[in-house]
Order: sequence, then structure tokens, then C-alpha cells
Amino acid sequence: MPPVVRAVDVTKHWGSTLALSGATFSIHAGVTGLLGANGAGKTTLLGLILGLHRPDGGALDVLGHNPWEQGPEVRARLGYAPEHDAFPPDVAAHDVVRHLAELHGLPRREATGRASDALWEVGLGEERFRPVGTMSTGQRQRVKLAQAIVHDPDLVLLDEPTNGLDPGQRSDMLALIHHVGADLGMHVVLSSHLLEEVEQVSDAVVILDAGRVVADRGMAELHNVGNEIVLDVDGESAAADVVARLDARGVAAESPAPGRVVVRVDRPEVHDAIRDVLADGQFSLRRLQRRTASLEDVYLASSEAGGQA
Amino acid sequence: MSPRRAPGGGDIVAADGRARILEAGYRPYAGPRLGPRHAVATLARHSFERIMGLKRPARYKVLPFLSVAIAYLPAITFVGIVAIISRARAQAIEFIPQPGRYYGFITAAIILFTVVAAPEALCPDRRTRFLGVYLASPLTKSTYLLAKAIAIVTALLLVTIGPSLLLLIGLALQNFGPRGEVAFFETFGQILLTGVALSLMFGALSLAIPSLTDRRAFASAGSLLLILGSGAVSGILTRGLHASQRFELLALNRLPFDLALRIFTLHGIQFEDRPPLPTASVVAASVGVTVIAAAVAWWRVVGVEVQR
Repeated sequence: MPPVVRAVDVTKHWGSTLALSGATFSIHAGVTGLLGANGAGKTTLLGLILGLHRPDGGALDVLGHNPWEQGPEVRARLGYAPEHDAFPPDVAAHDVVRHLAELHGLPRREATGRASDALWEVGLGEERFRPVGTMSTGQRQRVKLAQAIVHDPDLVLLDEPTNGLDPGQRSDMLALIHHVGADLGMHVVLSSHLLEEVEQVSDAVVILDAGRVVADRGMAELHNVGNEIVLDVDGESAAADVVARLDARGVAAESPAPGRVVVRVDRPEVHDAIRDVLADGQFSLRRLQRRTASLEDVYLASSEAGGQA
Repeated sequence: MSPRRAPGGGDIVAADGRARILEAGYRPYAGPRLGPRHAVATLARHSFERIMGLKRPARYKVLPFLSVAIAYLPAITFVGIVAIISRARAQAIEFIPQPGRYYGFITAAIILFTVVAAPEALCPDRRTRFLGVYLASPLTKSTYLLAKAIAIVTALLLVTIGPSLLLLIGLALQNFGPRGEVAFFETFGQILLTGVALSLMFGALSLAIPSLTDRRAFASAGSLLLILGSGAVSGILTRGLHASQRFELLALNRLPFDLALRIFTLHGIQFEDRPPLPTASVVAASVGVTVIAAAVAWWRVVGVEVQR
């Protein structure tokens, strides 16, 4: 299956500010997290995907089209939920969602029915005729999600969809986003500066730092970056001995603290080497634990490295 | 939970017709997808409803409907008078205006509409950031502006064409209108041309000034200042300081009425013992105002950066 979004060396300036610098990445099916600190270039990238801005350089392909040259065609197949509250407060949620459905090409009758369906889907069925301005922050975020999915788009772009939500509401919203990607068959780009929520729902992640793409991987692949095994062994010199024996077998290991060995697992044979070293040396093992790098570790490592992880 | 229709059609009914699924849930959409023209029509209709306060609480309807009432009330009154005092038509002739002179009565309605109702079309979209959502749809900045222009001009046509047509038809039915079919249809065409010209001029102004701000109050104040202020400045220049009479073309509160008179081949507005301005000057000024205002709106809306 071809990528949903493919960017090759995309660059964008705002005046003298470099917003995106040679961004090269692919977004595939499922939920993809677009992760980066504020000002990293996430919103600029969403604007480029929507065809609202012309890239200064490079090539961008969205659903097989050039979004700048074929903006209306591309946007008809996209759903977009903005970061900020953007709906007239005196209009009922159902009217807003129906209006957006019609704008995306649905006839009025279909738009009316699907507006109700979308609002039921996000848990606002009973509240759908309430003016948006009388709704809580969590409900308004759900309205934004409903209007983004009402026309059954191929790709949904969600810009900071958990902004302003308390932990319970955030968890519910993330569950909804996962539901959209997993059960409703839409591809989702989740833009966020929060590592844990991207990690919670995403199948892949694109990490931006100061306009550069520093990581573009599937989540499973990212978790293998920095995959390690921690060993705690008895004896003052045991840890150093284990490190030396592993080193002799070509396995990278270090002893960051007395009695502790951290072994980098970069190939399956490492597990056999650990077993053989421990057995041959008859070391007393108190702990053997796999340690997987969190997305935060990857993010920090990628940012510090300043290049693609 | 209330029963729901299946999206894109009616309820899901089993082949034997006995079972019916009311709760179909969210399903993929396989129906027709209409193009950007549909998006423009949708936004134009929605904006027209917003301008007129339709589907909104009563307080939003007051000013737009007041504008319409101001425009129609004199026409209804004149037609009623003619109907009531039919025996005294000879006296009424001096009192009842023909459609060409009726625009003097509705200038206030057009200005009121431009000042208080039209800013609703543009300002809230920028203030609530809904513009960003619109531009994430198949609309472009150009088609967005086109839809807004259609909505405003359509609403203005209600006050620029409707009352004059009502007056023409009302008087004609009382045998008080233009004499003969040719004269009737000539007047009819003049009404249409005048209505379209005034709607375009004030429609452009209704887009230009609100495009400079995202606050309705500022847009209303700016529109009022421009329209009435231009009349005051023009009056001071031409009558107070006895400058060239061409400065009269700056008066946005009198220019539309003067243009209407010319379209109806009547004498233009005349002050003191000075002759009316040439018709070409009035037409050129009207076109100039329309084009400049449209250019300002285009520059402000199409040139705006939505998000970064």
C-alpha cells in the first residue's frame, strides 16, 4: 500500500524563519503521531498537507496528489480538527457538523443524517442540538472530532486534540482517536507535543525538532531502538567480569553501577551470549530484566543527535 | 437512546421486510460527493442565513429585518394609498413616487444593512478562527470570498430590487404605473439594473470594511464613518468651500441614489443652481468605488495567512 503522505526534502520558510528544513518522511496506514515541541513545525506541516501553503522546496504527496496544486480535491478527502476552538458559540453542534459535511461535498440530506451519526459516535448524541458555546471543553473537542470524520475522509488530521482536557477526558479522547483509526478505517495524523499520548495510540511516529524530521519510524521499530537487558549480579568484580566476557563475544555491555550490567540487544544472538556467559562464569544472578526505551528516550536521543534516529 | 436512521439513506431493512435495524452506527459513506461548487453554494446559503439572523435567536433577526422593513414599508404604504384614494388619483400623482425616485426612500435601509448586518458575514469567521476550518475544506480563499459575496449581494438584492418591484407592480395593478407594456418592461429592466448595481457597490463595501477587522462593532463603526463621513466631507468641500462639484462623487450616501436616477434617465441630484454632474462621472465613480472596495476585500481575504 502506498504511503498516505510522502514528503521528500520539504522546506518551508516564514520570512527569515525556517519552519521546515528538508523534511523527508512517510506516513502510512493507521494512526501516526506527529510529535514535537511547540514551534517544531507541526502546524506548518499540517498546513502543507492541507495544501494551504506552497512548499519552498521538495516534494509532498498526499493521497497520491500534490496538495498545493490539487488542494480542493485533496481536502475533500481530508478531515481536519484545529487546535483552537473555532466554532461559532451560538450554533448547535449538529448544525456545525452538518455544515462541514456539506462543505466536503455531501448532499444536505446525507449530511444531516451523518452529522447525527458522527456526534453519536463521539458520545455527544444526546447533546447534539446544544449550542457549541454552552459545551464543556471536552465536549467541544469531541465536536471537532465529529466534524473531522463526518464525511468519512481517508485521512484525518488532528491538531493537539487533547488540549485543555483533564486526565479522564484525555484518556477518553485518546480512546476515541484509536477507535477512529482502528475501527472506522480512517488514517489519522495526531499532532501533539505530549509523548505519552502519541505513544498510547500511534502505530508510527514522525518526530520534528526545530523544523527537522529527527525520527520517522513505526512504533515497534522505535521501541527496538535502545532495547536493553539489565542484569544485577552478586560480587564486587562480577559486573566487570560479565562485561569483559560479553565483550569477548562481541556483545556491547557496560556496568553503570556496582553489580549492574546493561547489555544492548541489537540482535537475537545476544540472548544466547548472556545465557552462556552467566552459566560459564557461574555468576549469582539477582535480576534479569528487559528494558525498552520509551518514546521519550527516543525523542531525547533523536533531538540530541540532531539527525534522523 | 433514540432510534437513528442509517446514514446515506433510510433504515436498514432485512430482505423479508420484517426486521429493521434502527441503530446502524457510524458507517463508511458511499454516496455522492459533490464538488467545490456545492461547497460555495453551501457556504453562501449558510452566510445568508447568518446575515439575516435565520435559525438564530430573535435578537439576531432584529436589525436585518428592520432594514428590510424600512425598505418595503414606504412601497407598501404608497400602493395602499393609491388603492384607498383611487378617486383622487389626480392629487396622488404629486405624492406617489415612481420606481426611479423610490431609491431615495431606501438609501437608509441599504446603509443600515451595510453597517449592521453585513459584517456578520466575515468578522465572526476570523474572530472564532472558523476561517481555518473553512479553508481545510474544498474551499479556497477565492471561493470562500466568492461565497460570502454571493450571500451579501443576495441579501442586498432583497432591499434594492424587492421594494421597487413591489411598487412597480402595485402601481401597475392600480393602473398607476408606466403606460404600456414597453414602458413597464423598460422600468422593470431599470429596476433590475439599479438593484444589481447598488447591491454590487454596497456588497463590495460590506466585504471591504469588515475584512479589515475581526470585530463586528469596529466594522459597523467603520462602515458608518466611511459612508456618512464621506457625505459630510463632500458637503463641506462642495458647498462650504465651493470646491469643484466633482467632490460630490465622494459622497457614498448620495452616490447610489444619484446613480439610480441616471439609470432611470432622470435628472441627477442637483444642488443650488449648479447643474447635475455628468452621468459618465457618476457611473465611473460608482464603478470605481465597487472595484476599489472589491480589491481591498480580495487583498485582505485572499492575502491572509491562515495558520503557520
